[in-house]
Amino acid sequence: MIKLKLMVNDNRHELEIEPHEILSDVLQKKLGLTGVRISCGKGECGACTILLDGKPVPACMMLAMQAEGKEILTIEGLGNYDNLHPIQEAFVEEHGFQCGFCTPGVILSTKNLLETNPNSSPSEIAMSLSGHICRCGAYPKIIKSVQKAAEKLEKNNGGK
Amino acid sequence: MAGNNAKDLFSVVGKAVPIKDAREKVTGSLKYGVDLSASGMVYGKILRSPHAHARITRIDSSRAEALPGVLGVVTYKDAPDLVWEVCWHNYRGHILDDRARFVGDEVAAVAAVDEDIANQAVKLIEVDYEILPGVFDPEEAMKPDAPRVRVEGNAREPYIVNWGDVDKGIKESDIVAEASMNFASQHQAPIGRNACLAEWTGERVTMWTSTQTPSEARSGIAMAFGIPINKVRVIGLPSGCSFGLWWINNFHMVTVLLAKKIRRPVKIELSQEESFAAVKRRHLERSRGRIGCRKDGTIAAIDINHIIDNGAYGFKDDVGFFSSELWGGRCPNGHFSVQGVSTNLVTAGCMRGVGDVTLGAFMERLLDMASIKLEIDPLEFRLKNHIRTGDILHNIYDEFGHDYQTPPEWEDKFPPMFHLTSTALHECLIKGAEVFGWKKRWKGWGKPCAVEGPKRRAVGMATGTHCCGVAPEGNTSAIIRIHSDGSATLCCSMGRHGQGSETTQAQIAAETLGIPLDQIEVEAGDTEVCPWSHGSIASTTAYRTGLMSKAAGMDARRQILEIAARHYVKGEPAQLDIKDSVIYRKDDPSQNISLEELMTELLPDAVTPPVIIGRPDHAMPPADFLGRQFSAHFVEVEVDIETGQIKLLDYVATQDSGTALNPKVLENQIIGGAIVGSGFALVEGLVFDEKTGKIMNPNFLDYKVLRAPDFPVRSETVFCESYDPVGPYGAKGAGEAPIAAPIPAISQAVYNAIGIWLDIPMTPEKVLKGLGKI
Repeated sequence: MIKLKLMVNDNRHELEIEPHEILSDVLQKKLGLTGVRISCGKGECGACTILLDGKPVPACMMLAMQAEGKEILTIEGLGNYDNLHPIQEAFVEEHGFQCGFCTPGVILSTKNLLETNPNSSPSEIAMSLSGHICRCGAYPKIIKSVQKAAEKLEKNNGGK
Repeated sequence: MAGNNAKDLFSVVGKAVPIKDAREKVTGSLKYGVDLSASGMVYGKILRSPHAHARITRIDSSRAEALPGVLGVVTYKDAPDLVWEVCWHNYRGHILDDRARFVGDEVAAVAAVDEDIANQAVKLIEVDYEILPGVFDPEEAMKPDAPRVRVEGNAREPYIVNWGDVDKGIKESDIVAEASMNFASQHQAPIGRNACLAEWTGERVTMWTSTQTPSEARSGIAMAFGIPINKVRVIGLPSGCSFGLWWINNFHMVTVLLAKKIRRPVKIELSQEESFAAVKRRHLERSRGRIGCRKDGTIAAIDINHIIDNGAYGFKDDVGFFSSELWGGRCPNGHFSVQGVSTNLVTAGCMRGVGDVTLGAFMERLLDMASIKLEIDPLEFRLKNHIRTGDILHNIYDEFGHDYQTPPEWEDKFPPMFHLTSTALHECLIKGAEVFGWKKRWKGWGKPCAVEGPKRRAVGMATGTHCCGVAPEGNTSAIIRIHSDGSATLCCSMGRHGQGSETTQAQIAAETLGIPLDQIEVEAGDTEVCPWSHGSIASTTAYRTGLMSKAAGMDARRQILEIAARHYVKGEPAQLDIKDSVIYRKDDPSQNISLEELMTELLPDAVTPPVIIGRPDHAMPPADFLGRQFSAHFVEVEVDIETGQIKLLDYVATQDSGTALNPKVLENQIIGGAIVGSGFALVEGLVFDEKTGKIMNPNFLDYKVLRAPDFPVRSETVFCESYDPVGPYGAKGAGEAPIAAPIPAISQAVYNAIGIWLDIPMTPEKVLKGLGKI
């Protein structure tokens, strides 16, 4: 067992873990963050995507130890049930999902996309989300949701 | 684009309201089966067979049991000697017996205080196997000397829909075309995993899991353990998209068995590899057939023979071949035969659009072969021959037994012939062609629209259909409870795998009761609360569950109006109506009472407030008319003759699901079907090792699916809403016709681009082989 300090959603955590523990497991199973959805475990599906110092990464592809000293944002830190982030609002309004399993990861990637390229075209949005599998095939409405989120953020002067 | 009628007719039905659990989904707080835990819970892990076919000669779990932290092991010696079966023969077998029938078959399971110990313990179970020969090809498995996969034998009796005289029809035809077609096995390829948590309390067991079929899960457990249904409670949870994967599977039974033995709550979570390689998949399918047509372009005879491999524990003898109705409704002679065959591959069963994705695609290929010989536009040919409202449904015996005639004991209950209630397929074809620009873009058979270097662009179109639930499979039902504050809970057993059913059912109930949508909550998973239902399979929910939600709402409404008329608002119940939770006289709205007040006031004749529980007074009504869903898809593809790659450039998907209960939910269902169907057309297929049948690509690294950039951003959905006279507020099923149309539409476009017909999926390798380049 080793001691690990993690900064997640602006909260400090001190944990005891095995050195081989995967970041996605620690976030989901030890910290109870169900929004880190674990699916393929191979970095292929994008469901466990988090923002690490602002950049989207699949949390299943890192050891938890590697995240020490970095800022982690999971979907739980973006907005909550009663106070959604504008990107989350846009996905609700535009039905940008069906089963919802890929949604937290898609929304976090969207946040990064809209910070780096707020005026993305539909094709650019599609390309930027190619690391995510939406097996339900809600891609057209996901793209619409991203466009609507961009409008909302622009209205809010860049949002949160 | 959505040509929407329903929104003008109704106040809640037809509105594109956000789905009820949308906020839970965007905040990551929705609980799926994998997210659950219970006090005192321990972890289970399954030992799986490394052999395709073997008999267990010795099994010794003593070393595993001796490992600290291990609480118990189950092997076939602990399992009841009972065969359990799930609806439509998707599974038939013991929980565990002394045989392994595919690589990955369950052999034993361990419970331990944590997952690591359970994983270690599984490796300590010693098993000696007598290796038996295996068979991995359905046609090989049909041979008399083939290894026997099941005690019942490998080949099931063919399941036949027959009418007229096919040989005579073919003989009298002006043109006859023949074809054959092979399909790889598509996988549901689930995003998200599943888990099962089971706990016994006394003689009763409770099981939590993500499932499309909570009621069937309950019946299945009762059958597997030989206990009454009232000893079993299933709490169904939402799943990631399921497509037929998560009904009730044998890993659920293993979990329940383990929990029974150690008398602790046990959770088994499947890995992604187990979900891909050890649960279920679409069948490997092979079609052969012929079609005969008259000079005037009408179909005279259709003759199709189709084989499906059931894998080890599937036991199907049919697939939903509703395409026989779509193209048989106007055709005087038909013969459709489907034969199920057991193999030593992982169990196969229903996946979204079962049968209509494969046999339906082959049917469409025959239509294309005929159109080529007749030198007729595929759109014109389809417009001429598709089924019309009121035509006979030739597949109906599928729903009422193996005989086309009504069985004598049912004669007074069911009419002898069944007819189609509604179809807007004609409008789908015409509107879709118009939006797509078919007349301008189609250049003739085998002719691309454009050639640029190695790239050939061409268009294609095709149709799809499927049922709206299947009639005699139990009494799907619903109840509505009205609470003291006038809010209501609709209890109807359903799956929640992304199709938005809890929202559309609530819309139906709100419309019926005259109360706002936010006043209705839906309980879909708890079998102790919800009446039995077939579950969200075979597009049952919108049509049949919807009818029951409406009937429960009507019954609650009747009770409300009777009480109001008796005590509070002068008049007869028929003179009253409910709007926005207020009961009022239609001709004098000033006479009214709110639903909350009615539910709170003491009744003068009972000295208590009323109790109102609405329920249907009978199950799905026997009807001589039944609904079907229809789709027509139009596509442009680009084929690169150097790389063999096929790219989708443009896509128009039209749909007749009757009234669109929630247009945005329906759009997602349509385009989602188009994308998963296109994935099967182009890339999706399990790869089985030739010698062992082991699945070589049980993960998203090696099993490819379409992603956002792979489907045209310029796609469009078009509704052509019929108003179905049976369905709730005119609605019909939605999710399965749209997955049936992509394969034939894309393969027709590929033919027009490069002049060859391919098997499915149409991978670059097959394209290049077809072109003689490799």
